Amino acid sequence: MSKPSETITINIDNQFLQVGAGKTILQAAEQNHIYIPTLCAYKDLTPFGGCRMCIVEVDGLRGFPTACTTPVVEGMNIRTNTVQLQNIRSEILQLILSEHPCSCLICDEQEECKEFSGTIRKATVTTGCRYCPNDGQCELAEVAKKVGVKEINYPINYRYYRVEREDPFYDRDYNLCILCGRCIRMCQEIRAANALTFKQRGQKTVIGPAYNRTHIEAGCEFCGACVSICPTGALSEKTRKWEGKAEREEITTCALCGVGCQVHLQIKGRDIIGALPADDPLINNGQLCVKGRFCIPELINNHQRLKKPYRAHDGLKIELTFEQAIEEAAKKLAVCPPNEFGMIVSQNITNEDLYIAQKFTRAVMGSNNIDTMARIYYGAGLNNYVGLMKSSATLESLRKAATILCIGLDTRYGGSVVGVELRMANRKGAKIITINSHPHNLSIVAHTWLKPESGEEVGFIQSLARLIGKAKSKRPDAKSETKPHPSDNDIETAARILAESSSVIILIGSDVFKYLNSPKVLEEIGKLARSLQAEIMPLPAQNNFNGALLMGAYPELLPGGFSSARKDKQAQLGEIWGSQIPDWATSWNAEAVMTGKRMKILYLIGEVPLRERPASDFLIFQNLYPPESIYRTDLVLPSAAFTEIDGTFINGEGRLQRVRKAVEPPGFALPDWKILCLIAQKMGKKGFDFDSVDDVHKEISCQVNGFSSLDNIKRETVIMTLEPACLTGKSDFAIDPYQAPDSGKANMEFPYLLHTAISEHTYRGFPLASYVEGLKKLFIEATLEISPEDAKKAGLISGDEVIVTSAKFEKTWPARIMAEQTAGILHVTLPQGEVPGRNPYPVRIRKKNV
Amino acid sequence: MTVMEYRNVLAEFQGEEGELIPILQRIQEKFGYITEDAIKNISPFLKISENQIYGVASFYSQFRFTEPGRNSIKVCMGTACHMRGGQILGEAVERELDVKPGQTTKDKRFDFHRVACLGCCALAPVIQVNEDIRSRMNVIKLKEMLDKYE
Ligand code: SF4
Ligand code: SF4
Ligand code: SF4
Ligand code: FES
Ligand code: FES
Repeated sequence: MSKPSETITINIDNQFLQVGAGKTILQAAEQNHIYIPTLCAYKDLTPFGGCRMCIVEVDGLRGFPTACTTPVVEGMNIRTNTVQLQNIRSEILQLILSEHPCSCLICDEQEECKEFSGTIRKATVTTGCRYCPNDGQCELAEVAKKVGVKEINYPINYRYYRVEREDPFYDRDYNLCILCGRCIRMCQEIRAANALTFKQRGQKTVIGPAYNRTHIEAGCEFCGACVSICPTGALSEKTRKWEGKAEREEITTCALCGVGCQVHLQIKGRDIIGALPADDPLINNGQLCVKGRFCIPELINNHQRLKKPYRAHDGLKIELTFEQAIEEAAKKLAVCPPNEFGMIVSQNITNEDLYIAQKFTRAVMGSNNIDTMARIYYGAGLNNYVGLMKSSATLESLRKAATILCIGLDTRYGGSVVGVELRMANRKGAKIITINSHPHNLSIVAHTWLKPESGEEVGFIQSLARLIGKAKSKRPDAKSETKPHPSDNDIETAARILAESSSVIILIGSDVFKYLNSPKVLEEIGKLARSLQAEIMPLPAQNNFNGALLMGAYPELLPGGFSSARKDKQAQLGEIWGSQIPDWATSWNAEAVMTGKRMKILYLIGEVPLRERPASDFLIFQNLYPPESIYRTDLVLPSAAFTEIDGTFINGEGRLQRVRKAVEPPGFALPDWKILCLIAQKMGKKGFDFDSVDDVHKEISCQVNGFSSLDNIKRETVIMTLEPACLTGKSDFAIDPYQAPDSGKANMEFPYLLHTAISEHTYRGFPLASYVEGLKKLFIEATLEISPEDAKKAGLISGDEVIVTSAKFEKTWPARIMAEQTAGILHVTLPQGEVPGRNPYPVRIRKKNV
Repeated sequence: MTVMEYRNVLAEFQGEEGELIPILQRIQEKFGYITEDAIKNISPFLKISENQIYGVASFYSQFRFTEPGRNSIKVCMGTACHMRGGQILGEAVERELDVKPGQTTKDKRFDFHRVACLGCCALAPVIQVNEDIRSRMNVIKLKEMLDKYE
C-alpha cells in the first residue's frame, strides 16, 4: 500500500492524471470533473458497492470493477464511458426501475406534462402524475437521464408496501427505495444513532428498525440526515412534500438552543420551506437536531403569528396601527416612575435586541429593572451555572478529550449535534462515562454508566470525587472508610479511568436542573472539574444565554458583563449614551413577577412568564404569537422572528455568530430593537436613532470586546468574558404570596412529593411542542412520572388521568410509569407559565374516574 | 426466560462485536429462537443497537424469531411446486391452523414456513413436516396428515 500523501499517475478516459494514492477511482474522477454515475456512494460514507452504477473498465482487472470501491494504483488505465459500460449501466438501472414506480422518468408525455400539466377533468385543476414527492429534485431521475434510460424492458415487479406515516416529520415509502443503503450508513457511521438496518435479504430486503418498530421506538433522533441523502423520494419531509425546489438559501444561526448550529434556510417566494445543515467544521459539520432540521418552518410560518398591534380586553381585540401603538406605549411609559417599571426579555433574541432593551430600560426609563427568565429556570443554581458557562470548553476540545464525563445528558433530541461529536470521539478512542439515573441515548456508547439513585446525585458525585482522589494517590488497596455503594464496581472503574486520563471534559446536560439539589450538584461538579483539571461544557437548553449576560440584560449587569454597581462603569456608559444611568440597586427581578408583585408597567419581550396575566397596571406583550388564551393585554406588539432579522447570537461556547435575514416578517411585525427605538424616539429620547442593526452592533462594539461590525464577525474566536458579578437566584418561589409556603415535606394528608421541571424546548417563552405538531410526539410534557410501586398503590396504569392535589392547587395529568422513578416522588415537566410554584410540593393523588 | 438466563449466556462471552453471531447461535440453541428480550440484553453487552442486531440476525435464515412449534411444516413454494399448487397448499395450512407464514400456532402444535425448492421437484407439490417429506400433496391429504401430529 502506498502512503496517502504520495501522488500517482493514472489514466482515465485517455487523460493522464496526478492523483493522491489511497483514493478510489471515483474520488479521483470526481476530483478531475469526470462524471461517473453513482447511486449508493456518498461523499462522507464508506463505499458500499451496492448499486453497480459506477462500474468502469480497468486494464488488467477482470470484469467491471465498481469505481467507488476500487482504489487507484500507479499506472492504472481506466475507461468510464464505453458503449459496453453504458449498455450494462442501462440494463442495471432498468432492473432497479422495474421495482420502482417511475412514470416520472419514462413517460412519453414527460416534457409536455411538465410544461402544461394537462388535465383530464373539466375543471381548472392541473394534474399530471405525481407519485413521488421528490419531483424535480431526484438523484435517481438525474442518473436515469444521464445514463439515458427511456424504457424498461423487464417485467414490472412493484413491491406494494404500505407507506409508513406513523412517525413525525418524515414519511417512508419503501416502494420507491432502491436499497442503496445510504440512509443506514448515515445513521450508523455519522449519526451513530443506529436506528436503521437492512432487514431480511434477497427479494425481501427492506429498510427499517428492528421488528416492525416505529422510528420513535427505535431510538431515531429525527435528525433528518437520512432524508437529506436519500437519492429517491422514499424518505420525504412531511411538511415540504409538494413544495418542490427551494429558490434560494440563506445561511444563519439556529436559535433553538445554545449549540448554535449553522443552517441553510430553504426559501421559496416569501416563505421558508425548510432548513438544512451547513458544513460548518466549527460546530455542526453538516448535522442538525430535530429542532433545527424540521421545526423552523412551522414555527415561522405558523398561522398564529402576530401581524398587527392590538389591545385585548375581555376577549375583545381592538386592532391598532403601528403609529397608534407606539404612541400609546410612549404616552404610558413617559409617566411611569423608574421603580414602577419592569421589563422581562427573552434570552432567545439577538444581542442587538438585548442591548437596546437594556439601554431602553436604563437610559429611557432610568431603571435597572430588566431581567430574563433564566433566574427562574436555573433557580438557585443560576450563579453556579453562569460561573461554569463563562469558561465553557469548545467543541474543539471535546473532539480532543481522552475521557468525556456526561452528567444528566441525553442528546437524542436536544443538542443532538453534540451527541454526534461524542460518538465520533468515542469511535476515535475517547472513553465516555455517563452519570444519569434515567436510561439515556448515550448509554450504548458509554464505557461506564453510573446510576445514582435519583435525589442522591450530590452524594454520588462527592463519592466519585473521593474515589478519584484515592485512585490518584495510588493506594488502590486501601480499604475505604465510606460504606460501599450498590454499584461500587462501576463507580470505582469510572474513578480510575478519570484519575488516569490525560484530558477530561465534563458535559452538563439539562437534566441536572431536574435534580433535587441542582445548585449543590453544580457546585460539586465545579469542584470535581478543578480536582481533575477538567474542562467543563454546560449545554444550555436556551439560545443566547451568554448574549443576555454580556449585553447586560440583568439588573446586576451592564453591557460587557460588568457589575451594575460599579460607579466607574456607570459613568462611562452615561458618557457613551449621553444620558443618566440609574445608580440605585433594585430589588425587583423576574422572581417578583412570579410572586405577583404589581408594577405600573410590565414590558414582556419574547417571554410568557405566567399563564395568567402578570400583575401590572399596564401590560405590553411583544412576541411572535399571542399570549395564551388572550389574557387582558393592554398592548400586543408583533415581533419579527430570528429568520426575519439581521444580528448576532453568542452560543454556549461563547462564539459570536451571525443571524441573517432570510424573509420578511409577516404583516407589520418588526425587529424588537426597532420597536423599542421607535418608542424611545417618540418619547423624545436621544441615542435611539439607529439606521440599521449594524449601527447598533457598532455601538455595542465600544463596550464589548469582540464586537465590531456585522460584516466583520470572527466566529473562530471565543469572546465570552464576564466579571464575577453575582446574580441572585432562589430555588423556590411561590405563586400566591398570601399563603404560608408549603413545608416541602410529605405528611399524612399529602404523602407524595411532587417535583416540577420547566420544559427546556422553547423559543421566546413558548414551548416548541405547542407550535410544531410533530414535536408533541417527541417531547412528552405534562405527564406525571410515577414509580411502579406508587402506581400500583394508586391503581394506575400508564395513560390514566391522575388528579394531583396539594394544599394550594389541583391539577390533572396523565400518568407515565417509569421504573427509575423513586417511590414517593412524582415528577412532571411543564411549560414555564404552568409551573405551580415552590418545589417540591407535598401532594396526594387519585385516579380520575371518568 | 429471565434476565438472569440471558446474563448467564452472555457471561460465556467477552463482549466483543465479532461475537454477535456466536451469541445468537447460543441463544437459539438454548431457547429455541431469538426473543425480543434476548436482543434487548445483547445490545448493551456488545454496544450494538437492537436494530443492528435484528438486521444481522434476520439476514441469516438459521435464526428464527418465533417460538418453534412441537412440529414444523414447510410448504414448498419453488417453481415446480408453485406450478402444481404449492400456493393453494400454503393457503390451506393457513386456514386449517389459523397461522401465518413464519408464525407458530397458538397451541404451539405447529410452526409454519414457506420455503423455496426442497429438492424433490419431481414429486411436486411437496410439504415437509418435521423430517418427513410428503409428496404429491393435495388439500384432502393435507388435512388428514395434519391430524396425525400432536
Ligand atoms: S432521522 Fe437521523 S437518527 Fe433517524 S433514522 Fe434518519 S439518520 Fe437515523
Ligand atoms: S430509503 Fe433512500 S437512502 Fe435508504 S436505501 Fe432506500 S433509497 Fe437508499
Ligand atoms: S442542536 Fe441546537 S442549534 Fe443545533 S439545530 Fe438543534 S436546536 Fe438548533
Ligand atoms: S456508486 Fe459504486 S456501486 Fe453504487
Ligand atoms: S420446487 Fe418444490 S421441491 Fe423443487
